[in-house]
Amino acid sequence: MKTWAIRFATERPKLIYTLVLLAVVVLGAFIARIQIDTDPENMLPATQADRLFHNAIEDRFTLHDAIVIGMVNEKDPNGIYNVASLAALHSLTQAILALDGVIAPDLMSLAVTDNIDQQGPGTIRFEWMMRDAPATSSAALEIRDKVSRLPLLLDTLVSGDGKAAAIYVPIASKDLSYPLSIEIRALMDKIDTDDAFHITGLPVAEDTFGHDMFVQMGISAPLAGLMIYLLMLYFFRSVPLVIVPMLVALATIVMTMGLMIGSGFTVHIMSSMIPIFLMPIAVVDSVHVMSEFADRYRPGDDARQIISEIIDHLFTPMLFTSLTSAVGFLSLLLTPIPPVQIFGAFVAFGILLAFVLTIVLIPAYVVRMNPAALAKLAARSKTPHTDTLLARLLRLGGRFAIRRAKLITGITVLLIAISIAGVSRIDINDNPVRWFKANNAIRVADRVLNEHFAGTYDAFFVLTHRDPDARSEFIASVEALLANLPQPAAGLLRELLYDRDDASDYYGTLIAAIEDALFAADAASVDTLENVLALAEAAQRDSKYFQRPDILQRIADIQRVLADSGYVGKTNALTDVVKVVNRELRGGSDDEYRIPATAAAVAQTLLQYQSSHRPQDLWHMVTPDFSSTAIWLQIKSGDNQDMSQVVEFLDNYLAANPLPANIEARWAGKTFINVVWQNTMVSGMLMSLLGAFAFVFVMMAFLFRNPKLGLLAMVPLSVTILGAYGLIGWIGKDYDMPIAVLSSLTLGLSVDFAIHFIERTRDFLRSSGSFEVARQKMMEEPARAIARNAIVIAIGFTPLFFAPLVPYITVGAFMAGIMTLSGVTTLFLLPALISLAGPWLFQGIGKRNSFAAINAEEKD
Amino acid sequence: MRYTLVSMLTAIALTQGAGAETLDNADEIVARANLAAYYAGADGRSEVRMIISDAQGREQRRQFTVLRRDLDDAGDQSFLVVFSQPSDVRDTVFLVDKHVTREDDRWLYLPGLDLVKRISAGDKRTSFVGAHYFYEDVSGRRPAEDTHELVETSTDFYVLKHVPLDPRSVEFTSYVTWIDRSSFLPMKIDYTNAAGDVYRRVEVIEVIDVEGHPTVTASRVSDLQTGGRTDMQFRNIAYDLGIPADVFTERSLRNPPREWLQRPASR
Repeated sequence: MKTWAIRFATERPKLIYTLVLLAVVVLGAFIARIQIDTDPENMLPATQADRLFHNAIEDRFTLHDAIVIGMVNEKDPNGIYNVASLAALHSLTQAILALDGVIAPDLMSLAVTDNIDQQGPGTIRFEWMMRDAPATSSAALEIRDKVSRLPLLLDTLVSGDGKAAAIYVPIASKDLSYPLSIEIRALMDKIDTDDAFHITGLPVAEDTFGHDMFVQMGISAPLAGLMIYLLMLYFFRSVPLVIVPMLVALATIVMTMGLMIGSGFTVHIMSSMIPIFLMPIAVVDSVHVMSEFADRYRPGDDARQIISEIIDHLFTPMLFTSLTSAVGFLSLLLTPIPPVQIFGAFVAFGILLAFVLTIVLIPAYVVRMNPAALAKLAARSKTPHTDTLLARLLRLGGRFAIRRAKLITGITVLLIAISIAGVSRIDINDNPVRWFKANNAIRVADRVLNEHFAGTYDAFFVLTHRDPDARSEFIASVEALLANLPQPAAGLLRELLYDRDDASDYYGTLIAAIEDALFAADAASVDTLENVLALAEAAQRDSKYFQRPDILQRIADIQRVLADSGYVGKTNALTDVVKVVNRELRGGSDDEYRIPATAAAVAQTLLQYQSSHRPQDLWHMVTPDFSSTAIWLQIKSGDNQDMSQVVEFLDNYLAANPLPANIEARWAGKTFINVVWQNTMVSGMLMSLLGAFAFVFVMMAFLFRNPKLGLLAMVPLSVTILGAYGLIGWIGKDYDMPIAVLSSLTLGLSVDFAIHFIERTRDFLRSSGSFEVARQKMMEEPARAIARNAIVIAIGFTPLFFAPLVPYITVGAFMAGIMTLSGVTTLFLLPALISLAGPWLFQGIGKRNSFAAINAEEKD
Repeated sequence: MRYTLVSMLTAIALTQGAGAETLDNADEIVARANLAAYYAGADGRSEVRMIISDAQGREQRRQFTVLRRDLDDAGDQSFLVVFSQPSDVRDTVFLVDKHVTREDDRWLYLPGLDLVKRISAGDKRTSFVGAHYFYEDVSGRRPAEDTHELVETSTDFYVLKHVPLDPRSVEFTSYVTWIDRSSFLPMKIDYTNAAGDVYRRVEVIEVIDVEGHPTVTASRVSDLQTGGRTDMQFRNIAYDLGIPADVFTERSLRNPPREWLQRPASR
């Protein structure tokens, strides 16, 4: 295949050009169909259990994604409780309600909330909290007093200090969030008060993120490409030599992205980084080839012959570096996070594509160069190599590594120990909002709103009562009675008795049918039917589990311990509704703020709550059959660690204070979902890394036909990975999504250097038989190639420091770090180790170490 | 459905021999509709079953008996609403004294809390016990609160547009009613909001003749924004029972008048 490829490339360059161009154009055309996906939920497979549950809960309690608007007044001593601010809040709310795509009935704002209170003794009043904006400051302060009595509003719609108000705008579809946020911003801009306005919320964050991703792909990635180009130009001082690797990289990126988008995959934050990852990998191989060609070509030589030889001799190491890098990324398939898997698969594809392009496109390019250009290339690339600062440093370093091999090995061992300690200190934590820079409007809004309110991060602790026995017992006891009933009544009731339609009101439907039957019944059946009715009514009352006062008290207890824990800003639940309505029904004094004594009293209290302008609000907290209820937790931070802390705290509490049997307790909510995929990511990444590590080792052992050399090849990447993650542990940077994924890049790139180093060392050993000669030669061209590659990649990614999103900055910094580390370990640790254990490692090659051999080698 | 309804109503109209004239005064049509919908007989009783469904089809049921007594036709009247289902709200009672010239008086009794409360006058356009019907739909909106305009007279309907005199007191900007030309029952009402959308619809599903009064026995209100709806079925309807005035007093709250609440013997 190798020879065939070389011949094909050198004999049919035009065909190669045409084919590559065609592929680039065809696949590249798909890029226009790009679909950005910024939904963090998609970090989990669509069928993942927690995600399914989360979605079921959103349906069950009609929860929507919401744009959150914050209004802050720091100037007025009464905060937002002044005539102008409340008028602004009112008019803004009304204007937003009229926008298309807003789910108006579920919008939450002081301007569309109900109040329940006393209108003189014995008279209860239900009314809009603020049907019109108040005209006087005393009326504005009255609203403050009313809000202070409604725990569901306080710290949710208005901050406890009165300085901030919030509007939650539920939207029908995420796609509308961008146009809606623009419209809302325009509405906010028209308001001329002392209030500062902020806009945030998950849909807005996702939109902004999607936009910034485009910016990154459109600006940061090409900028990184340009930087790499300039650096290579500096090293090689030849446009034709540098332009080909760039073209290989560009073709690789366009074809890979085109294929991915064309296959129907959305572009997620992970896959948006594919160009960045492919850029250095694609460039590296072709630089090796071009650089060697420039070294070897002399004017008058047959370019075709030379390039064929070079490809022939670099084919195996390049194939193996490509394969190992690809394996590193393919190992991401072991992480059960779809965007990570897609990323891994397509980067791996891109790496192999870059290999193929390198071995066909470069020969094709070289044979089509005219003799003058070839001569210029040879002349330019000749001189600077041997006497640059880099070259001198490498020679010096190489000598030092051999002389102080034990010292270097010792230092490495020490560094490994320190790194392991660092790794043990790593904090696993992520928060998608922190993917924005600190000065981003979303981060600012997030900070301001969480300073004032109980928290803009949502989680839901969902309790569901299941008692399958109750239903079957009921059916059995009714069946016993139905035997006494004549047809058609018995048949009709029996049909309803076995109805399993979940949406219908089972007992209510049955009771209605029993009552209808009673109306038409003869005297003989009346008693039986009344007994059936009594059974059905009792079963219906029992089935409304979360109407029971003792159970509501348990929920109130959970809310109290959560509030006391300090981990949670606030909780909202059915209990709060019951307590408020009970208090107002009983005259409004604070000691009546409690759950009434019987289930019937709770039911009647809720009947009153439902007599409001927004009866549907009840179903955000409990299902209409009262078999499931959700405690809404507001948390001030979206950090996974903070959410995990809440989960762990409640687990411990419930272990000590178990819930009654038949209650299933589960978490839902975006903040919780983030924890789930984060945990999946961490364990998955460890699997991926170990899997790749093992596979790469096997490949190395196979490549060198020597397990010891295979082991040696694993040294630089092991030291690099340990060092990089140790550093992260010591500097206290959170282990987040980008950091996790970079482990595979580290593995793939570090092993490349080691492969080239060991392969070339062995070549030199074979030809010279001398470790001394091999060492000296290694510190010349091969060392320079490795160092140049490391420097190009490390510095080439500095433009990422200016990316609008933190994960890209992290990638840039990490890339620089691992390139430096793996370059240094390859160039200094490997020679040191070889000098200590060379004969054992290389098994019989290079036992001789004589001048004869050196002379022979130099004549060669 | 609509077709059979219409033909049925035509049949009723024919047997009554009424409805031959064509009216062109909107206020007069509204006045007659008000009488037809809320003032049939001097008093009346009806058992009401409410099925409240949300957009997902999840149901809640309520069942109650309504007693009504008119002081004058188109004048003040009293309503007593006593709940029977679900059993946990049984014997919850609403008492409404509806006034034409001033705010209504409303009382509430909650047996589980053994509590009689007066409900503040004020907004009547709140949900009636969680249904998509409002309090105002139960007792009727005063014709004087809107201006009325006859926009179309079709073979079967007077189509009127109503605009509130005090737009700030209601959530709609206007509503359109389709009033049956022979029975004068409003068969459909569409409410339009500030955005210009029809967001709420009340429809009559079934009308039968009860003691000579065309009477709605099934109706539906749909919340076109949330997708929820409430179906109402009226049963065991009777008029002119001679219910005394003292049934509609606070005393009935704690002691529902069983003799008037129970089903009338077939007459």
